[in-house]
Amino acid sequence: MTARARALRSAWPQYLAISPFYLLFTVFLLGPTLFSLYLAFHRWDGIGEMQYVGLDQFRFLIEDQTFWLSVRNTLIIWVLSTVPMLLLALVLAALLNSTKRLVGFYRVALFIPNITSVVAVAIVFGALFATNSGLVNITLQGIGLPGVPWLTDPWAIKIVIAMLMTWQWTGYNALIYLAGMQSIPSELYEAAKIDGAGPVRAFFSVTVPMLRPIILFTVVVSTITGMQSFTEPQVLFGNNSAVNANSGGPGQAGLTMVLYFYRTAFGQNDYGYGAAIAWAVFLIVMVFTILNWRLVQRRAD
Amino acid sequence: MALSRRDFLRYGTAGLAAVAVPGLAACTSSTATTGSADTGTTALWYWGDGLSDKVVDAAKTQFASQTTLEPTKVGGDFKQKLTTTLSSRQFVPAITGIKGEDMANFRANADQFADLNEYGFKDLSSQYLEWKVKQATTADGKVIGFPIDIGPTGMFYREDVFAKAGLPTDPAEVSAKLNSWDAFYDAAVAAKAKAPGTFLVINAGAIFNLVIGQGTRRFIDENNTFIGDQPHVKAAWDLAVKAHTLGISAKIEDGSADWTAGITKGTLPSIIGAAWAGIDIRNNAADTSGKWRVAAAPGGPGNFGGSFLAITKQAANPQLAFDIVKWILSPDNAAKNFTDASLFPASPATYTSTALTAGDDFFGGQKTIDVFGPAAQKIPIAYEAAADAAVSAPYFNQLGNVEQGQNADEAWAAAIKEAKQIGERQGVK
Repeated sequence: MTARARALRSAWPQYLAISPFYLLFTVFLLGPTLFSLYLAFHRWDGIGEMQYVGLDQFRFLIEDQTFWLSVRNTLIIWVLSTVPMLLLALVLAALLNSTKRLVGFYRVALFIPNITSVVAVAIVFGALFATNSGLVNITLQGIGLPGVPWLTDPWAIKIVIAMLMTWQWTGYNALIYLAGMQSIPSELYEAAKIDGAGPVRAFFSVTVPMLRPIILFTVVVSTITGMQSFTEPQVLFGNNSAVNANSGGPGQAGLTMVLYFYRTAFGQNDYGYGAAIAWAVFLIVMVFTILNWRLVQRRAD
Repeated sequence: MALSRRDFLRYGTAGLAAVAVPGLAACTSSTATTGSADTGTTALWYWGDGLSDKVVDAAKTQFASQTTLEPTKVGGDFKQKLTTTLSSRQFVPAITGIKGEDMANFRANADQFADLNEYGFKDLSSQYLEWKVKQATTADGKVIGFPIDIGPTGMFYREDVFAKAGLPTDPAEVSAKLNSWDAFYDAAVAAKAKAPGTFLVINAGAIFNLVIGQGTRRFIDENNTFIGDQPHVKAAWDLAVKAHTLGISAKIEDGSADWTAGITKGTLPSIIGAAWAGIDIRNNAADTSGKWRVAAAPGGPGNFGGSFLAITKQAANPQLAFDIVKWILSPDNAAKNFTDASLFPASPATYTSTALTAGDDFFGGQKTIDVFGPAAQKIPIAYEAAADAAVSAPYFNQLGNVEQGQNADEAWAAAIKEAKQIGERQGVK
């Protein structure tokens, strides 16, 4: 018996102990992922026979304007939500880092939006932003401004969805930044102070550079989650599911990539095409994640 | 007890093995242990308000000597859960509900279900509306769904708002005078002129949906050919666009907060929809009780929704399952299903029962069966292909675009192009 085999034999309880993760991963993640790749080359309604169609589904995908519309929508919503979200989170974290009182309360307050059910929040947003009866428009009209058709105008729809996502994720990112800020040695701030830097200068010259790895992390995570937004538009515009229409609201302005995948696969029973969309989403998210990663990292060099 | 790392690993692995091995075994052999394969139990899947709970409970007692009926209310996306279950061939219920809008899709997989004609539906068939049975009938004559309920359309309207707008208020008079789409549009224009901010049309898509539902052809014909570019669809499209150009469309999404506000305040005084839409109005605008009436839908009746009970191929005793279904949906119980869950019966004989002929206070004591009963029997028979709903989606999206200011002709061309693409993906010629 070789040394390697002996080591394997003596270590079997440890391998067995870590095996549940790999078993579950294989059954619930790896298996379905490989199956979806197989599906993307077939036509299947979910029950009947699968029919091999070669690259047809991908050809349809390239010709499908609705898919490209969903890609555009997703990118716009992602930019509209991620940029203000991360900037706001950085400011909030800096403020929180400098307070001494009620710190625990602020932390809880920041995290609550993140653990609140998206579905419940989306329903509340739907009521707040209703054109004729929503609180937002009533307030706008109360101070003499014209109301905005929040849930019918293509841009307003994207802004509402982006606001919802910003509201939900700002606190989460702020807490991550806060943790990063607290690990910055206080000597650096003292040195900055001695050099005559005010709080703003210290923020840009000490805090932000030291936080770069953390910022990189939040940018990557926001890219991956933001590009897969689904629940927000689904709940805001899910009323008409019976006829499968208006997915993503008027003009399909809130139709995101994942929502389009869901409507196609599960609404229209077109699982093969749905799988092709899912793989396209994967590729797009990967490309943008790498782009972002390179961008933020290069700045760090 | 202090646990060393070594002990922890040892106990842990032993425990895991104990859990994992029977678990895996259960995965591979569960066909033998599912409810449907075991003659002792009969599983029944339905959704909340899909059947009267009291009737289902009574069925449990009724058949207690022959089987244990195990009803499950399946929440969430019912079609999706049934599809997954049928596809996996595990834990398939003996009896399952199928929603009307999903019937075309399941009918395409009729080999998953028992042919009810073989168990005695043939003799009962004539009691049910012909068009309803046709929905569940395959090309080779198998019937896979036992009709639960239907959704004949009518026009719900606010009597008080109609009076203020100078429109007729008596249901019979409204039915007679607003019987065509043109007459309805004239009334909508008049109502808006008299009371600005009053819209008789929710959105253009709703009109398109209703007009298609009133016809005998939809988007795909029996030969699986795309017919969504033909005159019958264009006529429905033009009528929908006309609602927009006349300015009588509120451009509101069905069921949105603005919809609720509209029916409560009276700015949306008419809702054309299935009989069951009355419940939505009742639930969302409880304060307006007594102010609503029902008249015939302009342009004739159509049908929205309505469901079936089907028996799966996995049913251990299909004859018993059929007897249970037959009992649950017997004329007596159909009346109870109507009272408890507002399920409008698919058998015209029940329309004279006291449950259905009673006046409804929400509708000012009106007997709504006078409108929905005749409508139910006049619903046109239209072939609905499995891909029909998917193919129809672009028309609704493009009508939404038209209401946002897009050119109607460009939108029509875009809708057809997209509908053809979806059809091609789903194997439509």
